[in-house]
Amino acid sequence: MRNLISFLIRHSSWFVFLLYVFISLFLLFQNNPYQQYVYLTSANSASASIYKVVSGVTSYFNLQSINNDLQERNALLEMEVINLKRQLDDCKIRMIADSISLPDSVAQSYEYYFAGVINNSVSRPMNYITIDKGSSDGIEPEMGVVDQNGVVGIVSVVSKHAARVISLLNPNMKLSCKVKGSDYFGSLYWDGVSPHFAVLEEMPRHVVYQKGDTIVTSGYSAVFPEGLIVGVIESGMKTNDDNFIALRVRLSTDFTRLSTVRAIKSNLSDELKEIETEG
Amino acid sequence: MAKRILHYCVLFVVLVFVQVLVCNNICIFNVATPFIFVYFLIRLPIDMRINWVLTLSFLTGLIVDVFSDTQGMNALACTLLGAVRNTVFGLYVTRKDEIADTIPSIKSLGISVYMKYLLTMTLLYCVIIVSIEAFTFHNTLMSVLRALSSTILSFVVMLGIDSLVNTKHEKGL
Repeated sequence: MRNLISFLIRHSSWFVFLLYVFISLFLLFQNNPYQQYVYLTSANSASASIYKVVSGVTSYFNLQSINNDLQERNALLEMEVINLKRQLDDCKIRMIADSISLPDSVAQSYEYYFAGVINNSVSRPMNYITIDKGSSDGIEPEMGVVDQNGVVGIVSVVSKHAARVISLLNPNMKLSCKVKGSDYFGSLYWDGVSPHFAVLEEMPRHVVYQKGDTIVTSGYSAVFPEGLIVGVIESGMKTNDDNFIALRVRLSTDFTRLSTVRAIKSNLSDELKEIETEG
Repeated sequence: MAKRILHYCVLFVVLVFVQVLVCNNICIFNVATPFIFVYFLIRLPIDMRINWVLTLSFLTGLIVDVFSDTQGMNALACTLLGAVRNTVFGLYVTRKDEIADTIPSIKSLGISVYMKYLLTMTLLYCVIIVSIEAFTFHNTLMSVLRALSSTILSFVVMLGIDSLVNTKHEKGL
């Protein structure tokens, strides 16, 4: 017994070393990004509050460009409103007496929550974003996140007043997308090279596309509504599989200067999930 | 003694904050990122018990991990670095008894030995962290480039920190 104890003491550094290595490896190979301990991510209260203080200062730096973005977006939306109003008026005149109007519950099946980005990375192999709203503000895991330009990511870990979002610039994130105007869909992932480009793969060979075509979400996952802009086609890519083609996509969201984002809550997503698990 | 512990606490907090708030956002030419918090591990007294060195290394890595969402990556790299620290030190300093001050610095080791020690430790850390990252991406050329450029950048930044810390330390004493 005494020998054993003295052996343990003499080689204690090895045991300490192995213990730490095992803990690190355990954390490292914990694959599921939705099931991590909140207090080991940037969404925990200590790191979130520090990031909040710092972003309170740094968020002023980008105001000029964000303002320009918003004004452009505003102008676009105004145009759309005018057009829609005209169409609506047209329709009203032509409306047939026995037609039924769309119920509100179907039209408004998505809710938006605004949140500020307090931490963001674009240069690592796996990038995450921290936002300043959490479960007390209605944010839940697996909500889609967009900004004014396009898709940003999916909420993964939520604490009370902060949440961590898996950025689109993360190999754990795959997004079902399609070329706008066609029904063929593929899956978009980030290849880790540049924060401005991603790859849309598994597109059927016969899809007709042109450089500059818009890529939008397909709406198959219930996380994102259909038709949100993701990016535009930059070029075709070589693939090993002859049956599918891959496209290089220029992302419309500028991940290097995110400021305000919206988390999307789909009122249908619970229902859809239920159906999917049953089937 | 108490003064020295306080000195290390301040150094730790400052380095970790600068790392997560500034350095993590730097990525020159899309490859080079400075890892400056390693400087804390490099500066730990050379006669410190190995168990303490390992514990401090692991905790440092873990805290940086929490802030930068890299679950276990830095913790593993720091633990490995802490484990090989004394070996690296032994490569350049043959007689440890003759050193006046046990904190590694230009003054206690001489400029050439200290530079070699600092550069080796930085290179080791960058190689380890880039290899761990390479589990996700198999792009050998990119990884080598990342490791080397990050080493050079971290080394230069750490030399700057070194001069700051030393002048402040001498004035303080």
